Amino acid sequence: MSEKTEVKDIDRSLHEEKNEEKHRYKAAKGLTPEVIKEISREKNEPEWMREFRLKALEIYKKKDIPTWGADISDLDMDNIITYVRPDADLQSDWDQVPEEIKNTFDALGIPEAEKESLAGVGAQYDSEVVYHNLKEEMVEQGVIYMDMENAVKEHEDLVKEHFMKLITPNDHKFSALHGAVWSGGSFVYVPAGVDVDIPLQSYFRQNAPGSGQFEHTLIILEEGANAHFIEGCSAPKYSVNNLHAGAVELYVNKGAKLRYSTIENWSRNMFNLNTKRALVEEDGVIEWVSGSFGSKVSMLYPMSILKGARARAEFTGVTFAAEGQYLDTGAQVIHAAPNTTSTVNARSIAKDGGHAYYRGLLKATENAHGAKASVSCESLMLDNESKSDTLPIMKLQTDDIDIGHEAKVGRISEEAIFYLMSRGISEEEAKAMIVRGFVEPIASELPLEYAVELNNLINLELEGTIG
Amino acid sequence: MYNKKLVDNLTTGQSKLLSNKRRESFNRFKDLTQGDFNRINLINYQFPEYSPYNKEYLKEKKWQAELLIKKMTDNLNNEEEIINYLEQFKNKRVKKGNQGLDQKYLALAEAFYNTGLFIKVPKNVELKLPVEIFYELDQENPVLIDNNLIVAEENSKLTIVIDYRMQDQNLEAFHNGLTRVIVENNAVLNIVKVQRFNDQSDNFDSNISLVSNQGELNWIPIELGARNSVTNNENTLMDDGSRASISSVYFADGDRKLDLGFKMNHQGRHSSSEIESKGVLKDRAQKVFRGDLYFQKGAGQSKGSEKEEVLLLDKTVDSDSIPALFSEEDNIEGEHAVSAGQIDEQLLFYLMSRGMDKAEAKQLMVEAAFNPIFDKIPLNDLKGSVINDVKTRIRS
Repeated sequence: MSEKTEVKDIDRSLHEEKNEEKHRYKAAKGLTPEVIKEISREKNEPEWMREFRLKALEIYKKKDIPTWGADISDLDMDNIITYVRPDADLQSDWDQVPEEIKNTFDALGIPEAEKESLAGVGAQYDSEVVYHNLKEEMVEQGVIYMDMENAVKEHEDLVKEHFMKLITPNDHKFSALHGAVWSGGSFVYVPAGVDVDIPLQSYFRQNAPGSGQFEHTLIILEEGANAHFIEGCSAPKYSVNNLHAGAVELYVNKGAKLRYSTIENWSRNMFNLNTKRALVEEDGVIEWVSGSFGSKVSMLYPMSILKGARARAEFTGVTFAAEGQYLDTGAQVIHAAPNTTSTVNARSIAKDGGHAYYRGLLKATENAHGAKASVSCESLMLDNESKSDTLPIMKLQTDDIDIGHEAKVGRISEEAIFYLMSRGISEEEAKAMIVRGFVEPIASELPLEYAVELNNLINLELEGTIG
Repeated sequence: MYNKKLVDNLTTGQSKLLSNKRRESFNRFKDLTQGDFNRINLINYQFPEYSPYNKEYLKEKKWQAELLIKKMTDNLNNEEEIINYLEQFKNKRVKKGNQGLDQKYLALAEAFYNTGLFIKVPKNVELKLPVEIFYELDQENPVLIDNNLIVAEENSKLTIVIDYRMQDQNLEAFHNGLTRVIVENNAVLNIVKVQRFNDQSDNFDSNISLVSNQGELNWIPIELGARNSVTNNENTLMDDGSRASISSVYFADGDRKLDLGFKMNHQGRHSSSEIESKGVLKDRAQKVFRGDLYFQKGAGQSKGSEKEEVLLLDKTVDSDSIPALFSEEDNIEGEHAVSAGQIDEQLLFYLMSRGMDKAEAKQLMVEAAFNPIFDKIPLNDLKGSVINDVKTRIRS
């Protein structure tokens, strides 16, 4: 007899512990130049950054909220407190991190990651990084992994040269907002030829009710460098709608290779309107591994700009939309140089009235002769309450290219279930196996602990819906 | 211009209900904002001055006695029947598939049509020979606004060929048409549309259909001409086992621009649809392919597929593909595939090693790609002249 459960969602208590709020400084609600100046003063930023923020604020006020994609009318922009600084200074020693903040991190498994001697851990508590560490030998090789705030001061020239040059405040309303109020995030610099062999990890989370999170991630890989950055998100659930409008800028220089993995599992009241872009030079490689599971609404389309000849982009993504979720995700690739190649492999699952939307762009410019691209989208629908849409846009402006695209939508094949059941596997397990098999291409790209988490996530999601 | 006075003129001598329909459409028209076609940079398009169309466009044949064919512009005695058919398009379930290429263009056709046919093939009638319609534009008739309604009653079978063409290479002509189609239970209807305007003319064409229980509708749109050509083809598969297919061919060269929309709106269970598009782009031609597959709630066990192949012959072409799949049902099969690229160099090399020059070899390969669809043209003369047109365009 198969066990029937009433579990509809993952038990989130682990990830949704919230501490009593205790803040040193809280920005007034609503956005004015005064608020921005205050944020900048608090952060002790250089003059140019303050000017940048103010300019971005002006642009933000002029831009309209996009009318396509998700319905974000629930989002109360005036009510979002944009900057909350936790009551702790930057710590280099774990013992000095305040107890309650530690407790939340413990629940998230951060110290374990440290114990396992992972290269570095940057955990963002509310809007500022409270804990940071990087292995000694990496530092000796000139690798920089620090919070963005300090990077602005300590590596001013590097930051100034790259900060919001790929994603500019002019791009859209939320990039402008980001430019005005960004706070926290990671800065990674890998010198030429250095191979960072252990993944760099950062865990972001939000804690204050109604606080937006606008972390900025800036990664620069010099010629021939190699790195893997893992970004994971989790946030406690509050009644006020939460906004996440981060920005990720990745610079992959000649022959460098960067893998950027994300497991995003925001609580289900979050508006995740994140912008991610990578600029890839000659022979460089960007690999995106992206899992979108949480949030109420997501609009996320990582873009790879293949600027140098033979540059390569790979995107592997899974989107899992359950009850009450609208996840609008996809990959964008711009082939702007000869003989560039790209592969997009996107999979989505929709269940219990969830809405999964794949929206992608593939563009080949006049110079992209010899470009090769393939896009493959597969959608699995677990019931007929849910919705699944696919919209891959292709724009080709030259002749000497080879472009292929495929998309499929459907449900779990009854024959496959029947076959597995004839082999003595229960129906529930058979379906779970098929779903796990469906996300296998992504799971296999993740480090083990994340792949295990992904599998558990799927098992929990499927429990109670089948049986 | 397109004002009330013109509507009054056009309704003089026309039957009452259809006149009312024109006025209704005009009331919509005047309040609508005209859409732009950004992807082909067709913005703020100015509708050219109205002018009547006085040429004969229906080839008379004896077998037409078996059909009911009337000109929509005449004083008709069966107007109630026509109105009843048109009412069917107001069904809520059709909404997604009743958009036209743009609401303003659609209303223009419904209010100011200067030609158009009502064709009905009665129950159980099966016609072997196709109905041929030739809309030819010339100096005296440079504006064509055709409003057609085609109905295939239960168990009937019919093929219709509509040829939009012109001889005059210097004329600046304008076409904005609307063809509505109803395919009833078990009927099979094939519609071949060929568009061969010159490179100074603009073509706008909306096609909207409803397919009932076990009915089958096959479209063969062939786009070979016009400076700007914007077409839309929407089909609602209303019931159990409704079927629709689109086999599209296009060839664009010079500075020509194409915006082709194809939509399948699956409402009924076990409905099936297929969109196949094959095209060639040359010189600085621009093309947009939009293929939408909608699986509405209730369309369980339906199948839909779309496939686009585009051959790019020059560096300067611009090709957009927007295949979309929207699904509200889990028990369906939907898929789309796009392939784009240049001519297979090895094959080209092989053909040239056999003594062909490059132009000949390219032409042969384009023909090979198009032929399966051209073979669906039921008139040999027309097929021959279409193939000839493609040849001429490739060589120029």
